[in-house]
Amino acid sequence: MTAAPGIAAVSYAVPARSSSVRELAAAGSLESDPGMLERFGFDRVRIAVDETPYDLARTAAESLLREHDIDPRSIDALLYGGAPGSIAFSRPRDALAGARALCDERRFQYPATRLQFDLGLERASVLGLDQLACTAILGAVRLARALCIAEGLERVLCVSSEFYPSDAGREAITNCTSDAACAVLVERNAARNRITAGVTVTKGYYWSASAMRDEVMASYFPTAAHVIRRTVAEAGWTAEQVDWVMPHNVSATSWEILFRLAALPNARLYGDNIPRIGHTLAGDNFINLRDALDGGAVRPGDKVLLFAYGYGAHWTGLALEA
Amino acid sequence: MRITCFVTGATGLLGARVVRRLLEDPDVRAVYALVRAPAVFDSPAVVPVLGDVGAEGLGIAPAVRARLAREVTTVVHCAATTSFSQTLDEARATNTEGTRRLLDLAAGWHGVTRFVFVSTAFVAGARTGVVPERAVAADGWINAYERSKAEAEVLVRAARGDWTIARPSTVVCDDASGRISQVNAVHRALRLYFGGLAAMLPATADSALDVVTADHAARGIARAALAPYVEGETFHLCAGRGAMPLEELLDVSYDAFQRSPAWRQKGIARPVLTDLATYRLFESAIDDAGSVRVRQAVRSLGHFVPQLAYPKRFETTGADTLLGATAPAVASFWGSMVHALVGAHPAREAA
Repeated sequence: MTAAPGIAAVSYAVPARSSSVRELAAAGSLESDPGMLERFGFDRVRIAVDETPYDLARTAAESLLREHDIDPRSIDALLYGGAPGSIAFSRPRDALAGARALCDERRFQYPATRLQFDLGLERASVLGLDQLACTAILGAVRLARALCIAEGLERVLCVSSEFYPSDAGREAITNCTSDAACAVLVERNAARNRITAGVTVTKGYYWSASAMRDEVMASYFPTAAHVIRRTVAEAGWTAEQVDWVMPHNVSATSWEILFRLAALPNARLYGDNIPRIGHTLAGDNFINLRDALDGGAVRPGDKVLLFAYGYGAHWTGLALEA
Repeated sequence: MRITCFVTGATGLLGARVVRRLLEDPDVRAVYALVRAPAVFDSPAVVPVLGDVGAEGLGIAPAVRARLAREVTTVVHCAATTSFSQTLDEARATNTEGTRRLLDLAAGWHGVTRFVFVSTAFVAGARTGVVPERAVAADGWINAYERSKAEAEVLVRAARGDWTIARPSTVVCDDASGRISQVNAVHRALRLYFGGLAAMLPATADSALDVVTADHAARGIARAALAPYVEGETFHLCAGRGAMPLEELLDVSYDAFQRSPAWRQKGIARPVLTDLATYRLFESAIDDAGSVRVRQAVRSLGHFVPQLAYPKRFETTGADTLLGATAPAVASFWGSMVHALVGAHPAREAA
């Protein structure tokens, strides 16, 4: 039987504490004017205090298994992207110590294998993804799909958990950021959310987000529009057929521009989480997909496009048939 | 007939070429060249005249003014500030008021039988479609330069009965070799795209770039000064039908960029073409949130690239007849010009 991999389940976890854009500004966590960030659609973000990246990763993955009554032993592979080694086990206030621990024997601590053990994923082989920044979960899903097709795996659990760097404020190029974790289950033959295309363009010229900030800002739109068009084409769709875009939660204004450039006349942007959570490094697109499915916004058969940009620099699109 | 010319802007990109072209005509006895600072010309037939269009009477010494009043038969007004980023007051000070000052002065030169005003084809501003050479009305302008020139045209038409208006398109290189002797806003824009600091261009499916060589424009201006007079003649010294469709222009430009392996490796994206409303939204977002460098880049483009969103074709029938030839097609020199701009200076790639 031909494989038709798709997204069988999504769960996510965010920290308990939230802050408004104004509170972030008062705390000195923003570079930009809070009024401008509010105009860009941001309102609140979630900030980890007592949680570690691993805690959130485990919460998200456990929720996924529990909510969908999935036998942990049915998972063939676990793909993990996010905070590495000892940092994954550190609360934000201990992040520096966690980073320092990467230089001693605690470097050999692995959140992905611990997750395999803690969740009882007895049969799952484990693979970690790095260097993909905010596109880590999309990269994991892309790889999961390939594994389902190439190796015949039935179920691949993708997990990403990442906190914004503790000393870097709460703003990434005029976008307010939340800490979060996201878990996505890819099945070889999913009943819904079949993956019809995945496109990634990586441009190493922009490898340093801080040094190349201006160039990144200029290159973002043309490359994003190109990747979106290519994803739509590779899915075998026309631009007119796209029903929904699950965005990465960057400024609503930038999405308004990108929507016009990409020319998707009938698509709607699921932007509800831009004010509610802002941008996460862990998986905006799937967090949005989960909420859109739960809320009934996305209906079976809808053509859904996911697009994200990740520092480094990666532009990634994914096409799903809900 | 013996012709004595008075040329303003005689040391500029166009003016210097116009002077040389005028002197090729055996009927031209002398050229008085308005210069702001002492200048030396190749030909003894060129007489430098110290002055400035920014000053009343052009700041010319009274004795020299008296001589000009006696001798000048043809005025060619090339002096202008061609920056697209200037304010309206700045543009008017030189382009409109400077023209008025010259008109006032030349009103007393009774031997003058031809007044050639060098304007710009882009007095057409936001007009779209075919722009006839005799067109005078615009539906608004993209920048202060265009508007100040349009206002100066009005002054010229009202003041004299012997006017001829030469409207060159944007000059981007010396001649068909693509050599650039003066860098302008178009070149600076190309460098921004080359450097990956510019993301998009406002355009429609019909957008094309009309630019010309300095040689073509200068030849046209000189012919406009010397050819038998026809009342109310306006010449479009433009590429016209030889303008280059924007997509094709980007193909050629990016092919030229790609000749540099170092540039190719960067993977800099071609700008995306979009409608003007989206472009304006992008400009406004960058104005809000961009770094100083990106903001400056976008602002500098904003002074003239929106012109591409008003597709037009300049009619050139009169100019073609005047010159006995059409302007070189943009496709014939654009690639060489781009290569001259970015290919000859590999050091810039590191910037």
